[in-house]
Amino acid sequence: MAEEPNTQPSVSRKGFLKILGVGGAALAINRFAPVSKARAKPSVGSPALSTVPGVGPNSDVLIRMQDELLRALEKQPSERRWVMVIDLRKCIGCSACTIACVAENKLPPGVVYRPVMDQEIGTYPNVTRKFLPRPCMQCDIPPCVPVCPVNATYKNEEGVVVIDYDQCIGCRYCITACPYSARTFDFGELYTDGTAEVEGLIVGQKTADQYERAANFEYQEERERIGHNASPIGNVRKCHFCLHRLAEGMLPACTTTCVGRATFFGDANDPNSLVADLIASPNVMRLKEELGTEPRVYYLV
Amino acid sequence: MTDKTLLSTQPADDMPDGIEERSIQKNSLSRRDFLKISTAAGGAAAFLGLLPQVSAALANTDDQTAYALAQLENQIYSTCLQCNTVCGIKVKLRDGVAVKIDGNPYSPWTLSPHLNYNTPFAETAKVEGGICPKGQAGLQTVYDPYRIVKVLKRKSGTKRGENQWVTVPFDQALQEIVEGGDLFGEGNVPGLRESFALTDSKVAKAMADAVKKILGEKDADKKAALLAEFKTTFAADLDKLIDADHPDFGPKNNQVVFNWGRLKGGRSDFINRFMRDGFGTTNTHGHTTVCQGSLYFTGKAMSEKYEDGKWTGGDKFYWQGDVRNSEFVIFVGASPFEGNYGPPWRSSAITQGVVDGALKYAVVDPRLSKTAAKAWKWLPIRPGTEGAMALALIRWIIDNGRYDASYLAAANKAAATKAGNPTWTEAPWLVKLDKDGKPTTFLRASEIGLMEKETRPMVSDPKKTYDFDYFVTLVDGIPVAFDPYAEEEDQAVAGDLFVENVQLGEFMVKSSLQIIADAAREHTIEEWADLCGLNAADLVTLAQEFTNHGKKACADIHRGVSQHTNGFYNVLAWYTLNALIGNFDYAGGMIKLSTYDAAGGKKGQPFPIASLSTGKKAPFGTSIIRHDAKYQESTIYSNLPEDKRYPAQRNWYPLASDIYQEVIPSIGEAYPYAVKNLFLYMGSPVYSLPAGHKLIEILTDPKKLPMFVTFDITIGETSMYADYIFPDTSYLERWEFNGSHPSIPFKVQGIRQPVIAPLVEEVNVFGQAMPISLEAVLLGLAEKLGLKNFGKGGLGDGGDFTHQDDLYLRMVANLAFGEKEDGSDTVPDADAEEMRLFEEARKYLPKSVFDPARWKAIVGEALWPKVVYVLNRGGRFQDFAKGYKGNQVANKYGRLVNIYQEKTYGVKSAMTGKNLAGYARYIPPQLDVTGKPVEDGAEYDLRLITHREIMQTKSRTSGNYWLTALLPENAVVMNGSDAQRLGLKDGDRVKIVSASNPEGVWDLHNGTKVAMAGKVKVVQGMRPGVISFALGFGHFAYGGVDFFIDGEQIKGDPRRVRGLHCNAAMRVDPYLGNTTLVDPVGGSAVFYDTMVKVVKA
Repeated sequence: MAEEPNTQPSVSRKGFLKILGVGGAALAINRFAPVSKARAKPSVGSPALSTVPGVGPNSDVLIRMQDELLRALEKQPSERRWVMVIDLRKCIGCSACTIACVAENKLPPGVVYRPVMDQEIGTYPNVTRKFLPRPCMQCDIPPCVPVCPVNATYKNEEGVVVIDYDQCIGCRYCITACPYSARTFDFGELYTDGTAEVEGLIVGQKTADQYERAANFEYQEERERIGHNASPIGNVRKCHFCLHRLAEGMLPACTTTCVGRATFFGDANDPNSLVADLIASPNVMRLKEELGTEPRVYYLV
Repeated sequence: MTDKTLLSTQPADDMPDGIEERSIQKNSLSRRDFLKISTAAGGAAAFLGLLPQVSAALANTDDQTAYALAQLENQIYSTCLQCNTVCGIKVKLRDGVAVKIDGNPYSPWTLSPHLNYNTPFAETAKVEGGICPKGQAGLQTVYDPYRIVKVLKRKSGTKRGENQWVTVPFDQALQEIVEGGDLFGEGNVPGLRESFALTDSKVAKAMADAVKKILGEKDADKKAALLAEFKTTFAADLDKLIDADHPDFGPKNNQVVFNWGRLKGGRSDFINRFMRDGFGTTNTHGHTTVCQGSLYFTGKAMSEKYEDGKWTGGDKFYWQGDVRNSEFVIFVGASPFEGNYGPPWRSSAITQGVVDGALKYAVVDPRLSKTAAKAWKWLPIRPGTEGAMALALIRWIIDNGRYDASYLAAANKAAATKAGNPTWTEAPWLVKLDKDGKPTTFLRASEIGLMEKETRPMVSDPKKTYDFDYFVTLVDGIPVAFDPYAEEEDQAVAGDLFVENVQLGEFMVKSSLQIIADAAREHTIEEWADLCGLNAADLVTLAQEFTNHGKKACADIHRGVSQHTNGFYNVLAWYTLNALIGNFDYAGGMIKLSTYDAAGGKKGQPFPIASLSTGKKAPFGTSIIRHDAKYQESTIYSNLPEDKRYPAQRNWYPLASDIYQEVIPSIGEAYPYAVKNLFLYMGSPVYSLPAGHKLIEILTDPKKLPMFVTFDITIGETSMYADYIFPDTSYLERWEFNGSHPSIPFKVQGIRQPVIAPLVEEVNVFGQAMPISLEAVLLGLAEKLGLKNFGKGGLGDGGDFTHQDDLYLRMVANLAFGEKEDGSDTVPDADAEEMRLFEEARKYLPKSVFDPARWKAIVGEALWPKVVYVLNRGGRFQDFAKGYKGNQVANKYGRLVNIYQEKTYGVKSAMTGKNLAGYARYIPPQLDVTGKPVEDGAEYDLRLITHREIMQTKSRTSGNYWLTALLPENAVVMNGSDAQRLGLKDGDRVKIVSASNPEGVWDLHNGTKVAMAGKVKVVQGMRPGVISFALGFGHFAYGGVDFFIDGEQIKGDPRRVRGLHCNAAMRVDPYLGNTTLVDPVGGSAVFYDTMVKVVKA
């Protein structure tokens, strides 16, 4: 039985198992033309490190991956293939990645790049829980891209689906187009909105919101949250594999803070990389494979 | 900036033609403009075709794109306090504002292996470890709109808890607290000076000695005579005592009590210096029993040493599993993915081990925790029967001979060493039985004429001697005398493990292991399993697996084991199980924590903090919580008629301390004496303690507690009842030395240090500017009281003590020096670049907080660059490779593990007068303090327990909006079968009621009642008959409700008070009447032994 692509803006918590399942026929993918925009901004920066301290045969996987990242950065941007691998056996459902991402990218209420879903399976006493982090899949055939009327969202040369905040008109077509619900809209809110402002008697909202308004570094640009219209307010927002950190030779924020070490990141074109090894595992899968979106996020189950 | 390193490797003349031009162009254009132009002009292809290094160079000529957070100029390494796991953090700053927090790569908590300590600081800018969601959200604790910034005083004419506050000048508040007066229009309030009575420490010491004699005298007449003699001897000073008829209560100074919640090193030294050494009160109490009290105090009993003829020197500590190296772990009442010291360090070790097939683990927990979800086996045990389960495993292991016989046979150190083990137990020691066959004390060699007592110099005072009496074991049936601590190989004694009812001289004896085996055989495995509500086959499988991995197996236990009325014996049973395989100090087995000494207690350290003191007081007397004291020795006991002695008015705790739930209720009953001033630091007993609502009745009565002063960062559930609230510095604004936890094998001392400019008001004390904080208050009170160990010359030979930095920097210097007397353990000097980065990162701190010249002067020229070295790294951490030696951990417990406890046996309950059992045996749960079952009837049909979600800490993260967005409210978690029976469906609103709170409310005694009501979450992952709620929700203060300061109404934020908090449903002890159920031995506050009813709300 053919299934319609899931175009709902949110995945119900209980729905993720369905997503995981590979049942049903794949949808015709032809309407999602592969996109390759020439103006992609590669992740270039200034890795200070020629090698990462502590690198060695028994080093923390974070150190190994950071070391591999430096190797990847020596290549032409188009020669590297960033992928993320999430080992669901290791995900402990702590949501550290979710919050690290919020903090790193200064995401306001309603904007989440990487939720973690928690699902109970089974009947007492034979019961377990599964946790599923869901970043942007950075599809190689991204359904979100062709629907953008102003070409504000595109796949950059390294394969990361990015948004040009200065081009985005906030129409939100892409939000509906994404089968993974990976896009959300920035309404310009702050987490401290509505808190008390009494200056002098308590800290008050105006002092407390400093960390929220401080500039983020998405796409290697500093954007403070000021006023109500300045980007990224009024834009659609999504995970970008922390391109600004990659440029510095640093792993995405979700990856470095993953306390279960369930998240792996790197250049799949590097045959000696950890991720290249992992995506060749027999237990690898991708979400909604049947949609033909060719995600660059892999799951180990 | 690190960019330069890369640029310098690329000579400019290597750049292709044309690049120069674009660079110049970019100087006058923003990066975005540049990109637009180059795209429009088709220049992108050329741009993209550049060598990556050159692109990098290009990108970096544009200042705007520099990732400032990757620069050490914008980073300070410190220690988290979002929970108590104390993960190392890297705080990233922009213009002095903390904007992002990650893991400190030098800290073993966040990276494994962590970076070697000598890794050049400059190389760490872009390296970071993992921290949990709370750690990530720490910014929101610091930049909390509801943080208080000025001293708040209860408005005159309003009652405690009415949330009407006025701001008062700092100095005025100190003055009022010291001098008292009619402060609230309710009549006279005693100030501290009134209780600052006994100030001559010579007199205090003499009195303490005399009191000791009185307490030690068992004969009633002689005791009375000693009392009379005391009154004569100290006639001139009797007015300085609380009660001359009860000199054991100590001086009036004891009527000032300091109680704390979360307290770490440095601040603890500060408080001790003020309260004990300066003011002379014995009443300084922590909160241990609300956390995992009986874990600590069973640990203390198990680590007591036989010294100078008595059992003493036990460490208040516990063991955890070295799970990184374990092959099999049983987690009992512990969820390392959600708590348990803790997620960042342990989770990856567990997930990696499981995925690699190197680790198997089982979880014993009524709730399917996140840890249980990934476990090999989940055993949803009936709460309170944890000890029974351990005894079932013990029984199987003994019955099947699966214990480590060579480990257990070692009667002394020499034998342990011979077998290659760092620890040993009393397993083969002989214990005397009483006429009923009950085990009592160890048999001594002189008692059966085996060996004479020996005169030995005392360890505590080598000038004195004592008579050492050898212990006895059987070796192949022959009695052999031994010294437990003998080290010489020829003194090694390996004894018979099972000795049953052997008559030696006039004594019937058993071996300790026999006693334990007998306790385990009180029931069959099937009977034990029935008690636990588990399958016997599962228990056998677990026991088999547990004994299949040599020393690389362990049972790692936590709150779920200890916070029961039978907590002490539950813990003892599980630790005894570990002892059967002798896994202590082994990689993959049970380990203890290890810390570098910051207080200068090691020889050679430059600043011995405790002795750098002038005019030290000598506090003495029974504490308000009656810890470390025997009821039967007290004058209360001897003054009572014999038939009125039992049960005592309240319990006494000879084996425990820091009994949180006893502090305020004891003050409420003035037992053993009345208290005048209570200070509460970083604690919220009303919110945190089971049955905490009962405390409100006491706190709102100024007759019971005349003055209540708190330190807090918001107006919390307990500080709302205070007379004064001092705003404290948050964890990114202050100092602390964070010690460690037994999950960490490495020797460490993480430092918490000022990272941002404090948001609280600045004040002046001793002529120095400083932020209002715990330290400023104590310094200020000391100045007013004239305490000699503060101010000019307060540090004795060490100099002045007029600012917190005077103490804390010296402590850092101690860490920098290390622990070797010859200085060979000293850290290197920070190099010039490190020194520059250190100052640069702190340039936004005010001089009152950071002043390099002042700091340098405190520690001296030579130590200064070493201090910087330590501070840059966020503390001192042993290298990973040094944490292990062969198959053992390097930092060993390395001594006798008391599986049979003569000292515990020697304690008589203050409630029943009966001796305690000194070994692991099953005591049923749900008993009141006198030992009677608490039976509330069939209508209360659900057992209430609690759990932790990783996104909240007990009482202090509800203002973290990122976290409340993740989980806006908690719920009553219930099995589907219970829900069906009660006609409830997921999301229904219910209320929790219990026999001691039939209304199901928090009565705030200010006209407000808060219902313990919330949503039901129906799951399969919960034992039927048990319900749970996550701690950290259901607040009723903490910025979540309206309050008034200087007449201005401040609106609370409803996001902070969502969900429910059912502690007020937890059973009030029927005998005590104002306190939660307790573990009368280990002191635990009991969270898991209440029966409740769930009703639709």
